[in-house]
Formats: sequence, C-alpha cells, structure tokens
Amino acid sequence: MITATGITKTFKQRGGVLAGREVHALRGVDFSIAKGGAASFIGESGCGKTTLGRIIAGLESYDGGEIAIAGTPMTPLRPKQRQPHFRKIQMIHQDPYSALNPTRTIHQTLQAPLALRARQTGRSKQWMEERAAEVLSLVGLDPGSVLSRYPHQLSGGMRQRVVIARALTVDPEMLVADEAVSMIDVSLRLGILALLKDLRERLGVAVLFITHDVATARYIGDDGELFVIYRGQVVERGPVDTVIADPVHPYTQSLLSAIPVLHGLEEPGEQPVVPLESLDESQADAGCLFARRCPFRDERCESELPLLQVTDGVPQEHACFHPRSRSVIARPLSGV
Amino acid sequence: MAQPETAPPQMAPAPVPAPVTPAPGVRIDGLTVVYKTSAGELPAVRDVSLTLEPGSITGIVGESGSGKSTLALSLLNAVQPPGRIAAGSVEIDGLGDVVGLAGERLRKARGAHIGYVFQAAQNSLNPLKTVGKQLLDLGRSHDVDDLRGLVREAKELLGRMGLDGARVLDSHQHELSGGMRQRVGIMLALVLNAHLVVLDEPTTALDMITQANILKIVREVHAERGLTTLVITHDIGVVAEVADRLAVMYGGRLVEQGPTREVLGAPRHPYTRGLIQAIPRLVGDIDEARALPGRPPTLATVPERGCVFRERCALRMDICETDDPAALADGPRIVACHAVGAKERT
Repeated sequence: MITATGITKTFKQRGGVLAGREVHALRGVDFSIAKGGAASFIGESGCGKTTLGRIIAGLESYDGGEIAIAGTPMTPLRPKQRQPHFRKIQMIHQDPYSALNPTRTIHQTLQAPLALRARQTGRSKQWMEERAAEVLSLVGLDPGSVLSRYPHQLSGGMRQRVVIARALTVDPEMLVADEAVSMIDVSLRLGILALLKDLRERLGVAVLFITHDVATARYIGDDGELFVIYRGQVVERGPVDTVIADPVHPYTQSLLSAIPVLHGLEEPGEQPVVPLESLDESQADAGCLFARRCPFRDERCESELPLLQVTDGVPQEHACFHPRSRSVIARPLSGV
Repeated sequence: MAQPETAPPQMAPAPVPAPVTPAPGVRIDGLTVVYKTSAGELPAVRDVSLTLEPGSITGIVGESGSGKSTLALSLLNAVQPPGRIAAGSVEIDGLGDVVGLAGERLRKARGAHIGYVFQAAQNSLNPLKTVGKQLLDLGRSHDVDDLRGLVREAKELLGRMGLDGARVLDSHQHELSGGMRQRVGIMLALVLNAHLVVLDEPTTALDMITQANILKIVREVHAERGLTTLVITHDIGVVAEVADRLAVMYGGRLVEQGPTREVLGAPRHPYTRGLIQAIPRLVGDIDEARALPGRPPTLATVPERGCVFRERCALRMDICETDDPAALADGPRIVACHAVGAKERT
C-alpha cells in the first residue's frame, strides 16, 4: 500500500542562540506496509516518530527519500497532485478532546468530509446520512444516540471513536495513529486498540501505529512489524513479538527495561538495561547515535555508525555492533 | 538549551540525614466532597475512609472523573468552589483535622507540613521567573528567615535527584525538559521540609525511561527523608512500581484497598479485576486482555443509590441497585462489593 525509502528530514533552529543548528529528525527511514498490514514505531519523545507520521500523512514535507502510495511515487508530483493520494492516509491524533470542534454536533462533524466526498462522486444527501450512520456503526457507536450529541457529551473513548469514524468517511487505505490511546482511560484503551485491529481485518485498512507504550503495539495485530527509532534512525526492526521478547539493541532493551513491573503479577527481567544519560540532541553525531548513553559501548561505537543490518543468529534487523539478547522484560509470576 | 541531566547510576551519593520529624500518619474518615452544579450538589468523593500509615507510600488509582484528584486536594483542604468538603475529617499527625483549618493557619500548613507536586508540574512553573526566583518567593511567603539556607537545601535536593542545582535555579522553565521540571516540582514540594507529600500524576506526559527515573527518585527520596507519600495516578504500573499500599477509586468511592502486591496478584473487586485485565501486557496471550464494557461515570451520571460500578459489573445482583456496599475489612484488605462480601463471609 505504501513504501517509504530513505526518508530524511532535518529541522533548522530558527531564532535564539541555537539559530542555524540542525536537528536530524529522520535519517533515512525505510519501511513498507501492505494493504491491511500494520507497522508500529516506538521511541522516546524527540526520536522522530511523530515527524515520520506527519510526513506519511502528507502533513509535513520530507527532504530526501521517496514515498510511494499504491505504487505512485510522490516526489515528482506537485503538492496539488499529491493531495488525492495522501487523502487515502488519514491521521488519528493523540488528543480526542482537541481534535473535534466543540461547537459542532457529531452529525455536523461527519457531514463536512462527506459533503466533499458526495460532490466528488455525485452522490445524494441521502447517501451522506446513510454513510454517517455506517461509519459510526463501524467504530462501535450507536448512530441514533451519538449523531445529535456534542463532543463534550461523550467520553474520551467515544470521542476517539468519532475521530476514527470521521477518518473513515473518506474511505482511507491507511490510518496513522499517533499516540492514539495515551489519553484514553485505561479501561477503555483496549477497546480502541481492538477497533484498529478490527478495521484492518474487516476493511483492509493498514495501520501505522506510533507510540511510546510498547505493549499497546501488540494489540493492533501480532502480525505487524515493530520499528524502534532513536534520534531519527531505526535501530531495530522485526516482528512485534520477536523484538519485544528478544531485543538485541541496547536502546530497545533500555525502553523495555523502563516499563513498570506489575509486582504481584510479574517479576522483573534479570538483566535490565539502564541508559547512562538522558536523551541530549546536542550530542555530536560521530559513531553510534546511542553510544554516549550505552553501557556496552566500545571504541568502535564512538567512531563508526552502525547501520541497520541482519547478522548471523539474530532474526531481526538491528543497528548495533554488539547485538546480544538480554532478559529485560517482566515475566508473569507462575501460578497467578 | 536543555542542560544535560545525570542519570541515577552517576548520581552523587547523597548523605542520608536522619529524619528529624517522624513521618506523619493521615486518617481520612467519611470524607465527602460535593460540587455545586445546575443539577444540585453532586458528590465527587463519597464517604471515603483511608489511612496513610506513617512512612508508607500509598497509591490511589482511578480513571478520569473517579474523584482521585479531588480527594488529594482535600488533604490540603484546597478544594475550590464550586466544590466543598461536605462531611468527614482529614486528621494529619502534628496538624489536627485540616478540614477545620482556615486562613493563615491553613496556608502555613501547606508547604511546611504538606508538599504537593501538581499534576501539571510540566506547566505549573511561572514561565517568566527563574526557578531560583520562584524558590525565594516560596521562602518569603512562608516567612523563611534563612533564605540562603533554603537555596542550599534546594541545591542539595536537586543534586540528589541528579541535576546541577545551581544551573537549574538559574533556568527558566522552558530551558528544562519534562523530567527536569518534574524534579523541580518535587524539590519545591520538599524544600520547606514537608514530611507528607502528595504527587498528582507524577509521570504523565513523560517518556518511559524518564518515568522510570522519576519513580526511582520518588522511592529513594521517600526513604531518605522519612516521608509519608501519596501518589495519585491513572496508571496501575506507576503504583505497582512505588506504592506499598494501593487504593482503587471509582465514581467517587474507594472500592478496594490493600497491600499493592496482594491487590495486583489477587484483585477482589470486579472493577479492580477488570482494570488489571484491561492493561496491555508485554507477554502472554493478547486475547486474555479485555476492555471493560461501558464507560466510567461522570459527576452527572454517578448513580445516587446503590453500587457505583453496577452498570459495568458482571456480578451485579439486585441489592446492588439499592444499597451502597459497605467497605469491609479482611485483614489488611478492604473491599466494597456485595458480591465479594457475600462470598467471603460464607
């Protein structure tokens, strides 16, 4: 459905003492998602995952590389020509409270994109009404009770469902979900994740899932691919469960070690990895990007940049000179 | 420019001062807090009783609208109109019942006895003043004579949390990262030597690695300074990492409390069970995790009579419609549920 190759993006600081300094948000990211497929990006804030999502959704330009949507490369096209292609990719934002216009009923919110769609395809008002009800049913809401409501009358989980329903009005082929459940109440979170998985299966919608909560990445589909991104570089990638259960890059291991252990239900992993420092974008770029924080670095790591590669005995791709399995994630206590 | 932070492994080993004031105990009894709305006064917290043992870390877990932040504010007697404490008491050792405190005495009690790290510690600093200036404001408003001593104490605390104290005090909030601001919030809550500390969502909006760091700091500072700590959060993982005791809030009621490991390992209230089952996990069968049906009640939809959880409850019985289940103790565990109560008694 979508293929991205070597996507780069550099931001230049504009005013202040740092004017002219460059921040490499993305340093050549490759990935592709098939129709109905799933890919998840995890990493700390500032790692570039949100920028990637915005670029894929057509909300941000990219400096280098190529995005092909359904086989059509975007770079040669003028912005106006790109529009219909990027419309197939819809963004689900983190905050369902600010993503909906508070002065509009859900009916009005859904009618705007449907009216555009109806004009383009010459459909009737009747079709718009039917389609509005249909997309709400698709996301598990009862059209009869929701259509006349305002956003403030709905819970966070229901609002996020409305946001997803609005995205579905344009028959997207892919949803980009950026931290789409982090502001949803815990008891309702799983419902939204299950909905995304369900949309993949029923409608063949692909999902690009961006999160800092690794566990949620499993719930949009265990067939998906997991990408661990650090300072704009993908440092580990592979099937979700492989990367989570048996990570080899020390950065992935740090992320997984930091996840709270549910004491009483789980016991902590035996070899947790704690990074030496916190993320500092002003660090020099010589060598491995993670070297300064890495407890296992050596001289080579400080001078040479490891690239994403496959090595013997490691099922997933990684960008580390010293890939090694470590038992980092919590395990369920037996007998619970 | 963000100043480099130092991670825990490189932290300077801080001297461990013997706690001067023993950690206070807190006894919340029958607390009810109501908010005035167009539909009359509605309870955000209803008949809550909770004891914080001296020197313990208690975690209160609840979803949005559960009343957990209102409960925490009651500890400072800081519920703002249109809300008011309608019934009950909050006894704090060395301070008495804070519900009865007012005016200057109440103001002094906050800060000197009770430190509060606000939910939006990321945004609760004054953007126009350096952290140091805000520290001095805090000192003056609490009549601290030795302001130099206060600054020294602040630097020591920041150093203890892995930051360069002098540089942080010279910084404006925009020069600090989220994790650094959170530590500044903790410093401001502790610098007047409070021994009861309330942390409201201490790690929301922080990264996993930063969160792990802050939680480690909370645990260590708690032990070193001899504190009684209350952590309010929506995230069971946070409580699991730091708290000795866990209290679960739903619809303004405390539905279950007990030692953290016991409650997580063998939850009794159907809501606690559902909540734990709804957590996405890293290993195991993903089909075992399940969202709770329905949605949490709001102030307007909390049932007036009967159990607050019954609409989402699989164990609902007739009595749940009419009678509010009493919080019954069984050893260190307390559960407010008709279904569980009946089962345990027989």
